[in-house]
Amino acid sequence: MLTDVAVNGITAGSVYALVAVGMTIIFGVLRAINFAHGEYYMLGTFGAWWAIETVELPYLVSIPAAVVIVGVIAFAIGVLVMRRLIDAPFQIGVVATLGVSLVLQNVVILVFGGSYKMFDGGWIEPVDIFGAGVSQQRIIIVIAALVIFGGLELMVRRTRFGKTMRAVAQNIEACKIMGVDVPRVVTGTFVLGCCLAALSGALTAPVTGSLYGGMGTAITVKTFAIIVMGGVGNVGGTLLAAWLLGLMESAVAGYLGLQFRDAVAFVALIAVLTVMPGGLFSRRERF
Amino acid sequence: MGSDMRLRIGGFAGFLALLLVAPAFLGEYQVHALIVSLTFLLPALGLNLILGYAGMLSFAQMAFFGIGAYVSALMAMRWGTPFWLNFLAAGVVAGVVALPLGIPALRLRKYSFVMCTLGFAVIAQTLAKNWVSVTRGDLGLSNVPRPMLGLWSGGIEIRGITSYYYLALGLSVIAVLAFLAIVSSPAGRYMIAIREDETLAASVGAPTWRYRMAAFVLSGVFAGCGGSFYVHYYTVISPTIFDPYYGNTLLVIVLGGGVGTLGGVVAGSFIFVALSEVLRVAPDIRMIAYGLLLIVVVFGCPEGLLPLLMRKLRRPTHAT
Repeated sequence: MLTDVAVNGITAGSVYALVAVGMTIIFGVLRAINFAHGEYYMLGTFGAWWAIETVELPYLVSIPAAVVIVGVIAFAIGVLVMRRLIDAPFQIGVVATLGVSLVLQNVVILVFGGSYKMFDGGWIEPVDIFGAGVSQQRIIIVIAALVIFGGLELMVRRTRFGKTMRAVAQNIEACKIMGVDVPRVVTGTFVLGCCLAALSGALTAPVTGSLYGGMGTAITVKTFAIIVMGGVGNVGGTLLAAWLLGLMESAVAGYLGLQFRDAVAFVALIAVLTVMPGGLFSRRERF
Repeated sequence: MGSDMRLRIGGFAGFLALLLVAPAFLGEYQVHALIVSLTFLLPALGLNLILGYAGMLSFAQMAFFGIGAYVSALMAMRWGTPFWLNFLAAGVVAGVVALPLGIPALRLRKYSFVMCTLGFAVIAQTLAKNWVSVTRGDLGLSNVPRPMLGLWSGGIEIRGITSYYYLALGLSVIAVLAFLAIVSSPAGRYMIAIREDETLAASVGAPTWRYRMAAFVLSGVFAGCGGSFYVHYYTVISPTIFDPYYGNTLLVIVLGGGVGTLGGVVAGSFIFVALSEVLRVAPDIRMIAYGLLLIVVVFGCPEGLLPLLMRKLRRPTHAT
């Protein structure tokens, strides 16, 4: 039981982490709460499902296919909507991304229908770890999260794009004066964040097994709780907060009942913010 | 400024007169749509108070609305209390619930506050789904009594759609007047000062935290009262009331109509509910169209529809 709870928690946490880190870097450069972020996760799942069912690609190829499809959609939305949010009051961002969320969700429902679909793919053979049967897919998810977070830390600290991203997050005015192409950084960060959410969706699909158009909303709201607990803009903090939430949810679902799982994120969030207004890993409150 | 004031009072009086005679010219469905608009008006006024005057974006409005609805329905069903008492109790309970939430949440910066209030709505929904002995869980409460306009027991029962409409209109007028009284009081001016520059307001001695709390609690009272009317009109209530869809509609009404203005929120309630109803002719693409509309409205007139309209109206007088 305890091992199951831990394994489920870390897997779910890794899935949340991949979605949440995209949201947190987008927030960093745009100061906009992206209410549509869960939709890119949903689109990633649908992209992989479509590639397997319609194009008849193997699951391994369907993952990059899904990421590319979502990347193209995100680029269009980045240019049409997200760029306009630079310097806009934050309420504008809330309403605009709510609009994007409604459009994406309902276009998917219009095209593929509103019913649940079965996801057929992935590696679900159990592997024995500390006496518990863990599917290979779960192990892949956790490894993918670790590799991607490591890569992101490196990118943010070492590469030119990562440094520009941090500069825009710190002071957008100064960046404009120094000749940084802010709209390009915003679009680039946005596409990167959405692709990570899509990857997360494509990797989780074999574990959840089913998909439907409205599945993104719950992920969006949980992601909010994670990025605030982890400290907005803090990449490493996001991973830890996501794991913590995954473990807590899994414990509550296991010992109290599944119906209470979705409230855990926010009970934890309110409790954490009452004691530590800056999140778990920061003394200072910034946003 | 004098002509501006006259334009506003004239506009409100004309609009109210129009609403008073409207049922004589409209079919049952249109009157129902007007009632839906008025139902959204109360929580929208509350959101306008916390967002437009205290500068904090709250997603807790629909949670307070739902709490008010459950309180009012349960009182009427279990104890047979009259409508006025249920209505007031719904507002009071929602306001009292806002208090312990506000203590941690209002200390936060605006982004964290948004998340906290959103989370409150999720927690309220979980509670409504799982506290089966009181709320009957996902089944919800049905056969909620219709409003009884009597002092204690008995009195006139509101049944027909026209009488519901006038009840909604009467309550809305009271709510609008209460809103006006709040924002034109010294407390309202403090709230505006805090919204414009919190540090400056605090430096001249405004108790910022206390006024923000007042705005938050009052926003809960408005929403709770709205929920009471809602539940006695539809006579059913279930945990779906806490779904993000309703909260988003509220946000669209306030931000699309004109945040921080009274007329904008009133106009927004009618315009966006009407739009949502009109789009029912194409159910497949209804939500897609609604989403696109949000994006267009928010970039086309970021201050909201009414301020844009007012500027257009005023421009000729400036030219002369």
